[in-house]
Amino acid sequence: MTATDISHRKKFFALGNVYLPHIVVIEKIIEETPGVRTFHFNFKDKKLGKEFSFESGQFGQYSVFGIGEAPFCISSSPTRRDHLEFTAQRVGRVTNALHRLGAGAELGFRGPYGNSFPLDFLKSKNLVFVGGGIGLAPLRSLIWNVIDNRNKYKKIDIIYGARSPADLCFKYDLDAWGKDKTVNMVTTVDKGDDTWKGKVGVVPKILEEVAPSAREAVAIVCGPPIMIRFTFPVLEKLGFTPKQMLTTLEKRMKCGIGKCGRCNIGNIYVCRDGPVFSYAQIKNFVSSEY
Amino acid sequence: MANKKVNKKDIAKLLNQWRQQFTVLAPSKENGVAQMAEWDGKDTSFLDWYRNTVIPPKASFLPPMEEMFRFQKDKEGYHIELPPTNEHKQLIFGIRPCDARAMTILDMTFEEAYQDPYYLSRRKNAVLVGLGCTNPCESCFCTSMGVSPTESTNVDLMLTDIGDQFLIEVVTDKGKELIAKASGLKEATKDDEAKAKETKETSYNKITRKLDTEGIVDKLQASFDDEGFWEQTAAKCISCGICTLLCPTCYCFDINDELVRGEGTRFRSWDSCGFPVYTKMPMENPRLEKWRRVRQKVCHKFEFYPMTFNVIACTGCGRCIRLCPVNWDITQVLESVPVKTGVRK
Repeated sequence: MTATDISHRKKFFALGNVYLPHIVVIEKIIEETPGVRTFHFNFKDKKLGKEFSFESGQFGQYSVFGIGEAPFCISSSPTRRDHLEFTAQRVGRVTNALHRLGAGAELGFRGPYGNSFPLDFLKSKNLVFVGGGIGLAPLRSLIWNVIDNRNKYKKIDIIYGARSPADLCFKYDLDAWGKDKTVNMVTTVDKGDDTWKGKVGVVPKILEEVAPSAREAVAIVCGPPIMIRFTFPVLEKLGFTPKQMLTTLEKRMKCGIGKCGRCNIGNIYVCRDGPVFSYAQIKNFVSSEY
Repeated sequence: MANKKVNKKDIAKLLNQWRQQFTVLAPSKENGVAQMAEWDGKDTSFLDWYRNTVIPPKASFLPPMEEMFRFQKDKEGYHIELPPTNEHKQLIFGIRPCDARAMTILDMTFEEAYQDPYYLSRRKNAVLVGLGCTNPCESCFCTSMGVSPTESTNVDLMLTDIGDQFLIEVVTDKGKELIAKASGLKEATKDDEAKAKETKETSYNKITRKLDTEGIVDKLQASFDDEGFWEQTAAKCISCGICTLLCPTCYCFDINDELVRGEGTRFRSWDSCGFPVYTKMPMENPRLEKWRRVRQKVCHKFEFYPMTFNVIACTGCGRCIRLCPVNWDITQVLESVPVKTGVRK
């Protein structure tokens, strides 16, 4: 491995200085679950907004001015550019501040950063999406991207779960994918309630039940680390090789561009070399550093 | 350009000539802590007491704290403003070869992929005048890290002690310009060159601490999951962060906002992988245990940096040994990495 080549990546340097955020405006806020919100936003400078481009899997650094910055993936699809979206759970200083904001509020945005899902590699393959909780956010950018270019891909399985029915994010997407006859949508919860009619069980267990074939398939996994750790062995059992498993990782980040140092796992910087990795790239670190 | 020489008693004169064009920084004791600080135009007593600074010269390029930009909100929304650019060109006088080498190592990170505008503009505007080390510390091990205590590789001009005078090697075009603008320098003679050579040899041989880094990347890879080894290595560490904050090749930083009466500032400050909060996320922390943080520090320098940039991110300056409050010793740690077969990847 040598220094990372980012020449082929989508980048946006409208302001010259890579640390300067662009001003973006929140247009709409969707309450996904208590504590998880999706923010629709656009560049304040419409011209910059038109110049901006990104790929599924890339992330941004979002500023609540005076509080700080935090990284979130762009959870909308580049095929749907009416606005951009990100989804944040209220857990820390920046996300608590974000959750106090309403439509019309201004944020800072730097990005897009990081690599993206390898569309060329996914082309003409069966795709198995495995998501948990808010981990659906980066997958959903790719899922809509793939659905909007449906003929380029083969079978699509989506296995998505959350702790309870109330914790399911993107219910409107789950409905839409459920109705899409070209998609096999399986929703599960760890613990159901009186009205829950879907599956009950943790994601890795349901994945084992659904048992998608590994033939010409790629699995794309994102969720809490514990789910990721238990999902890879199931996929291996189903015949997926480490190269056929992709995931996108999350770490504490400050700079987003491979300088500030805190997101590395081994010699990999999650912000610079990821956030999208194949299991082959990270399997040696999963047990010890993730 | 042929080498020059300058009388030691004329150093102030020389610095004052450069001072017209540069902010001259020289070794100084601020509150008793040796560091590069703006030279006052007179005092050259550092030539007597100076061995190396406590705060490495990286602080002049990546300051312990620096303003990145300001922000303000009015009726139209947020406005962002860059801090007034510091056009001052810095001349660092007396940088040691180990620390100059460290700057070259830092450049790799700040130039790689995305350019860091703050660091790089300071670097571009600065000149380094090196001063060969003739009185190294017991903790120094530069020669094991491929650095000679008097080498001129990473500076613009290099001074070597030849008795009452310094021999001046002109290394770069920037150095040539500095010499062209200075008066009172003499041509070095063959005799001066011979004296300099002798100083260099003597200095080199004064470095007695040795570290064998042969195969260190493979050794560390193989021992990455050896929890017992890392726990033992980290046992006495108190996570104070000194070995990283004062390391000339450590660059990790934090970014934070400050808002005072509607005037906002985003600033960055030195940070350390030695601190548990460094990697703390709201729901988890991948390096909560001390041994993981110590492993990160050691492996980043001796395994990950070589894997990425093909150089070890250590110059043997010895600060982490000298300044550690509990006598943690990187050379002992590296020499005790178990030799294992079966490499991790």
